[in-house]
Amino acid sequence: MSHYHHYQKPTRYRSVYTSPTPGEQSDGRWMYRQPLPPIRRKRRRGSAKLLLAGGSMLALATILVNPNQSQPMKPAVDICQKRVETTSVLSRAQLSQLLSVPERSAKEAVRKIVEAPYCILQPLEIRAGAEAQREAYPLAFDPQTWFVVLYENEEYAGYDFSFRH
Amino acid sequence: MAKMGKTSLWRNLWESCLLILAAGCVQPPEVPPRAIQLHQKWGLQPGSEVAGFKISGGLGDISIELSGKSVRAPFDGKVQPNQADCVVFSSSEVPAYLFRLCGLKRPQLGDLQAGDVIGSGQALQFAALRRQPDGSWAIVEPAVDLLERTIRQQ
Repeated sequence: MSHYHHYQKPTRYRSVYTSPTPGEQSDGRWMYRQPLPPIRRKRRRGSAKLLLAGGSMLALATILVNPNQSQPMKPAVDICQKRVETTSVLSRAQLSQLLSVPERSAKEAVRKIVEAPYCILQPLEIRAGAEAQREAYPLAFDPQTWFVVLYENEEYAGYDFSFRH
Repeated sequence: MAKMGKTSLWRNLWESCLLILAAGCVQPPEVPPRAIQLHQKWGLQPGSEVAGFKISGGLGDISIELSGKSVRAPFDGKVQPNQADCVVFSSSEVPAYLFRLCGLKRPQLGDLQAGDVIGSGQALQFAALRRQPDGSWAIVEPAVDLLERTIRQQ
């Protein structure tokens, strides 16, 4: 605070002393720093506005490119290894039935409700000694969202919803 | 006095802009913690204490000597805080599984793409969890391929 006063006082005095025109005393900030002819001062006032506008734009840009908010805007990712049945979709009734199938049921319990999947994902091993097969079904009422099923050893292990497709 | 007031106004406006900017840059995204109900009920878990010493690993954790190297997201997925210095990684591409990683310093939380660095540390305690019909999670033996995806240095 003391630094602020020490810095401010002499320069204000100088500006009042060197340019007594009443109309130009409205913008004190730029006057105290460097007493200039009216036309230069006008430009400086403009540059201050420009700086402020630039700062605001930068702040806006920061908000727009914030990683937290830009996540949902990621492009669609193709997780399919092989398309099987390109017209395959899940209706609300099928989804409701699938959600009631308990984990560890036989794969047939799921396949009784749905036919061939839209696509299969790359097989992988998550648990030692058990190869996981994954199949995906887009939702008929929300095709951007896929229902992904995971089987291990012909057993239904679980599901998840995959977005941004 | 009027001149002084206007100067302060400009200064305040500018400082406000800078503050907003700083807040936007520094504020990390808020990621809600994920609690896991384990199928195996062991009293001693990561985060427990015995005689004032912290337990960093327990049932089913694979301890890997990382020596400060990085741990990467094995798939596209999400990192959420868990208990103690543990995080949980989940991926919609890998249903029915969760992965618990303990011992990472300043882990990256939120949505990550496969290969993105989650964090690094001296020793990683890795647990693979498989969903049970009752909604709990059983610790299972992770496949070597999965561990390689996680700790392979690129």
